Amino acid sequence: MKKDELQQYSGKEGKPIYISYKGKIYDVSKSKLWKDGVHMNIHRAGEDLTNDLSEAPHGEEILDKFEQVGILENESEYLYIDNKESLRDLYRKFHPHPTLVHFPIAALFLGALLQFLFLITKTSSFESAAFYSILFATVFQIPAVISGIFSWWVNYDSTLTSIFKNKLRYSAILLCMTFFVVIIRFLISDISFRDDILSLTYNIVIFFNVPVVFILGFYGGKITWH
Amino acid sequence: MKGERKKKIKELEEMIEVVLLSIPREIASQKFYQTAFEKATTDISRKFFQSLVKEEKHHEAKLRKVLNKLQNELKKVKELK
Repeated sequence: MKKDELQQYSGKEGKPIYISYKGKIYDVSKSKLWKDGVHMNIHRAGEDLTNDLSEAPHGEEILDKFEQVGILENESEYLYIDNKESLRDLYRKFHPHPTLVHFPIAALFLGALLQFLFLITKTSSFESAAFYSILFATVFQIPAVISGIFSWWVNYDSTLTSIFKNKLRYSAILLCMTFFVVIIRFLISDISFRDDILSLTYNIVIFFNVPVVFILGFYGGKITWH
Repeated sequence: MKGERKKKIKELEEMIEVVLLSIPREIASQKFYQTAFEKATTDISRKFFQSLVKEEKHHEAKLRKVLNKLQNELKKVKELK
């Protein structure tokens, strides 16, 4: 049954009183607390009351007393409330995303700083340390991104708002940039010591990681402190 | 007309974002007060925390209802040509 069909069972003009809860449609006509299609002067027959039951002094078990007469189409939009409850609890307990994002953030800042020191001092150990720092960040970005997508799904139902669009956009940019740095450095081990356009690009990308991380942190903060 | 539609979409998207970001906070508050309720040692404090849990649940339910309405409205506006 569709939502507009459900609305026809309003309890008026001798019609039965139907309500829906979590995708199931119940006939509550026998209840004395539903008069002329109205319950406690608040709730109306023919409506979905999934989000209203938590405000009621009784629990959902009260519906067991009534006959289920159908299923509301598109019920999935209501079922998610409880389907993800245990996952939400798990997320709240371990909060993996805020925990994991700090590793790549710190390592990318460190990588840029070490590369900067290499460019000034020409000490090769700074260059190696910068590369390993960026390599570490690149590897840790993967669980950070996965946990971020999981958080977006479990807490925000994968709803694309401007914040999440930007988070996804800049995460993709950062992933591309760090992979570019790592792959280039693997293929051309003396890339930092060369004096050509590729070496310049390599350095620019390393330093460009920093503002991108800032932007990602800014949007992450907006989710928490909006 | 096109500009108005664009403006309406932007407004709705902003509202959806505000409501969407508020829901996990209400849930977190519920869990926080629920824990406090379980740890409370006096009847007065237990009742107090229980009432707070109920209030937060009420907020969550209201927000979900508003979110649902806003999302449906956005869908309708986007379908308009």
